[in-house]
Amino acid sequence: MTAKQDKSIVRSLSVARLRDIGLVLFIVILSIFIQFRNSQFLTISNLNNMLINACIMGILAVGMMMVIITGGIDLSIGSTLALSGMSAGLFVRDNPDAPVIIAVLIGIAVGMAAGFVNGLLVGKGGVLPLIATLGMMNVYRGLTYIIAGGAWVSAHQMNDGFKAISFYNILGINSMIWIAAIVFLIAYFFLNYTRTGRRVYAVGSNYEASQISGTNVDNIQILVYTIMGGVSGLSGILWVSRFASAQGDTAQGFEMNVIAACVLGGVSITGGSGKVPGVALGTLLLGILRNSLPLLKVSPFWQDAIYGVIIMIAIIVNVMVKRTVDKRNLQRRHI
Amino acid sequence: MNKIAAKLPSAGQDSFVRKYLMRWEAILFLILIIVNVFNAIISPYYNFTGILGATRDFMDKTFIVFPMAMVILIGEIDISVAATVALSSVMMGVTYNAGNGVPMVVAILIGIGTATLCGFINGLVLTKFKELSPMIVTLATQTMYRGLAYVILEDQAAGSFPGWFQYFGWGSIGPVPFILICFVVCAVIFTLIINKTKFGRRIYAIGNNREASRFSGIKVEKTRLIIYTLVGFMAGITAIFLTSRMSSTRPNIALMYELDIISMVVLGGISTSGGKGRISGAIISIFIVGLLKYGLGLVNISSQVLMIIIGLLLVISVMTPNVAGKFKEARRQRMLHDKLSIQQK
Amino acid sequence: MSEIVLELKGITKTFPGVKALDRVHFQLKSGQIHGLMGENGAGKSTFIKVITGVHREDEGEIYLDGKKIEIKNPKDAIALGIAAIYQHVTCFPDLSVTENIFMGHEELSKTGIIKWKNMHSKAEDLLKKLGSSLDPRTQMGALSVAQQQIIEIAKALSTNARIIIMDEPTAALTNRECEELYRITEQLRDEGKSIIFISHRFEDLYRICSHVTVFRDAKYIGDWPVAGLTNSQLINAMVGRELSEMYPPALSKPQPDKVFEVKNLSRTGYFANVSFDVKKGEIVSLTGLVGAGRSEVCQAIFGIDKYESGEIWLEDKKIEINDPKEAMGHGIGYLPEDRQKQGLLLAWSIEKNITLANLDLYGKGIFVDEEQESEVANRLAKLVNIKCQGVDDLASSLSGGNQQKIIVAKLLTSDLKLIIMDEPTKGVDVGAKHQIYQIMRELARDGYGILMVSSEMPEVLGMSDRVIVMHEGRITLITDANTTQEQLLEAAVTKKTEMRGE
Repeated sequence: MTAKQDKSIVRSLSVARLRDIGLVLFIVILSIFIQFRNSQFLTISNLNNMLINACIMGILAVGMMMVIITGGIDLSIGSTLALSGMSAGLFVRDNPDAPVIIAVLIGIAVGMAAGFVNGLLVGKGGVLPLIATLGMMNVYRGLTYIIAGGAWVSAHQMNDGFKAISFYNILGINSMIWIAAIVFLIAYFFLNYTRTGRRVYAVGSNYEASQISGTNVDNIQILVYTIMGGVSGLSGILWVSRFASAQGDTAQGFEMNVIAACVLGGVSITGGSGKVPGVALGTLLLGILRNSLPLLKVSPFWQDAIYGVIIMIAIIVNVMVKRTVDKRNLQRRHI
Repeated sequence: MNKIAAKLPSAGQDSFVRKYLMRWEAILFLILIIVNVFNAIISPYYNFTGILGATRDFMDKTFIVFPMAMVILIGEIDISVAATVALSSVMMGVTYNAGNGVPMVVAILIGIGTATLCGFINGLVLTKFKELSPMIVTLATQTMYRGLAYVILEDQAAGSFPGWFQYFGWGSIGPVPFILICFVVCAVIFTLIINKTKFGRRIYAIGNNREASRFSGIKVEKTRLIIYTLVGFMAGITAIFLTSRMSSTRPNIALMYELDIISMVVLGGISTSGGKGRISGAIISIFIVGLLKYGLGLVNISSQVLMIIIGLLLVISVMTPNVAGKFKEARRQRMLHDKLSIQQK
Repeated sequence: MSEIVLELKGITKTFPGVKALDRVHFQLKSGQIHGLMGENGAGKSTFIKVITGVHREDEGEIYLDGKKIEIKNPKDAIALGIAAIYQHVTCFPDLSVTENIFMGHEELSKTGIIKWKNMHSKAEDLLKKLGSSLDPRTQMGALSVAQQQIIEIAKALSTNARIIIMDEPTAALTNRECEELYRITEQLRDEGKSIIFISHRFEDLYRICSHVTVFRDAKYIGDWPVAGLTNSQLINAMVGRELSEMYPPALSKPQPDKVFEVKNLSRTGYFANVSFDVKKGEIVSLTGLVGAGRSEVCQAIFGIDKYESGEIWLEDKKIEINDPKEAMGHGIGYLPEDRQKQGLLLAWSIEKNITLANLDLYGKGIFVDEEQESEVANRLAKLVNIKCQGVDDLASSLSGGNQQKIIVAKLLTSDLKLIIMDEPTKGVDVGAKHQIYQIMRELARDGYGILMVSSEMPEVLGMSDRVIVMHEGRITLITDANTTQEQLLEAAVTKKTEMRGE
């Protein structure tokens, strides 16, 4: 009996890792392919560029992962990002002499407030996450236009300090990469080494059992949506600083890319499972794709279609792998 | 005997109140009246002719409300509808402008065919891989369909349709816009399907309890496939009216339509958990949203305010019964407690 | 030894429409394994949830060591040293064994960081104590039910519980796994824990319990020492009447011609080489432990899941079944085990529930002919004697027994030859049970073949013309009604590699 158990443990481990390994392999093969087509790909400056461009998606994907682990989804992040970016941008425009940190804090606070409202609707209001965040997506987007009064905040209206947030180099590495790395590390630590972090998994893994074991499920939900809002706010700052403009339609539809990164990274949409390294890989894959299209001389208009196809393939392959594993387990069962 | 007789009429009244006055549709109807009165107060230009004309502006997307109601009735969701409309419209435009003198009728058929195929693909993926959530699948196909529209047309526009094609969006029979007539016809057909046919009964059954429906011999997967394909088909119809009204098409056409459509269904009292709600509610809420938009437009209130209002309406209309339910449960507990403590005394 | 640890007096709990507990009492002595018995729906599970703080009692008092206490929520219960192992294991399948054990009381460093190493090694120790060598880092979802149960016991121990409640722990275990569980339970008792052991298997009771309390229909019936208690006394207490009164006599004899036969039916991982037949007017029971593959066989016959090989014959005609609609078309009806999940649309009226299975019958075209529909519904509701004000009543407003009758009426809208009834009396009260048995007898008299899946041995013995026993996906015994409970139980727990009989 023990021998059989040991084997099954080994197997279940390898199945869990299979997807990660597959993803790494895919990324390697894709990179080699791109490199052959265009030797510009594997240069330091291009890789640096690629990473910088993937940072915002990665930061958001970490937040989204937590939401999805609890069994939810947040479609409002594009709007939240725009709203907080716009708030910060307007502040910088109107107060060019104020310290940059205040603008950053404003952005994050606005994002957290938006996320908190989503969390309340889901946790206390009993609204399906999809519907709640679909509705609030509209509300936040509308608010973005309204506070901007229909105008833009453009590059010359921002002081250098604010623009520097995304262009500053520390140890030769861009600040955005540092920020994303820190977000990933904190998330990893939070999810694996704190009690609350584990509760996030517990709620998604078995909602009722969480209640029975005394977890306040509502609060966990409110927490993850607030975190999601917070990282959206942070991303809003980075976005506005990087592209040096705050517009009403900033990041419209960006939530799809973020969800795609999570799904590719092995986050189960039914909740309960998902890991920070997986999400990092998923983000990396999408980043490489986006970066490589111009290198491969593919029209940028292909990007969305390719994303869509890749997400579709990823979720279907996922199901097929799971079915095969289940079938193998059934065949093993001795009857 | 006397007692029973005395009780009967009041029981009848109670059920009348419950059946007609306390229904969500009655409340919606009231809201609709309020919206109209409000509009009439804030704008001197608000009149019946204006309303009729305004239907042109918001009716196109409402064709999808009916099949979307079916999707939500079975407890699922389709987010890809707006992208389907866009792809269908782009296909229509590109086919017509292909340069070989393709007749517009063929272009229209290709547009509808494309949309139907989009819906069919959604349905096929969802029924072959039952484990997948409709939300994630239609999110993926949304990106795909919209992406394809961009691949086909890039940032160009396609237009210069023949004159008669304008009739869909702009034509009218007497004072009544053609699109409104089409809408009414669809509304009647879909109301009959959902309320009176065996197919409609099965939709409610699946939404209520999918497993029990399967055990009752209902072909759940076949029904789902039909519904998703129907969504695609109606998205094709929407594409015709929309393209006609805009007189040209772009890949970013019909952006965010899915939100308006889902909002109209949910505001109409059709529960996102499936099996509950009536199509009549959705029809009333179409007019609430449309007329509200028109009225606010008359007094130059920006469309952004309207976005906020629709978003809030959506969330609040879903939340209200839940919160009310919580209160009811709390009250039940309290009453039970009181009763027991009285008994103990 | 004999001091009372836990005492509950006059506990009442009401849910909307149901009185789940009606002034029940319970006394648990220290170092005792105390059986709690009763049929399904007797209120055992609700009772446990009151003790563990999942539900608040509406009325009644709880004493721990003679002191009156209040258990407001699960945390209170844990703090008081009460832990429960639930019937449907309430684990977190995506989390590791260690996390499942320490859920709610993780070990943290001063800075709030989880001490994984400590927890893993403690978990390993706990498991070793229970005789298991599982790696605590394994994902819970990868374990068998028996293994998960051991984890749940380890969880109870990790909270230093003094009182451990086990809710139907043996229901899904094989014989060997049961022995293992008995051993662990006795070990816990010897260490001074008090245990409430819920089961409806008699051998559990006689094997390890020293005392038993019986509930019936949400009420307390009595408690007795197990020594000297006879089988029939116990059944009497649980069922509320003599066995002979419970099961109505057969109204007719089975006819000689086979109405239904399966040959070598197999589905990988679930069942293999299942062959049996049912004759006209015959009641055949399919019994065995939970997980033996009985429901799976029936669901394959009904087309819910596809069988992979084998043949199905209906009245000398070989048939193929791909989905339930085809099965019904051929004349096979299925009364599912989980009435509320698989059988009924609770929010719908009786009428619409009855007619759902065969909508095509009412009206020729695409529309439903509502007059015809209500005519059929009324007739069938009367036939099976559903107690209601009218067929417009919602299914949710009826009792379990009457709900079951709706499903029977629903089956009768089809022209059936074989009716499969999966645990037809699960969770219905005694009176309704009797009526359902009566209906089964009448159906048999009318020439239907009936295949009944049941775990309740008295029911199997009382109702069947023939009995089929399954164990781990294979038939281990086919016998006529002249058999004993012991013989059936033995067949239910013994592995057979070759077929006997046939």
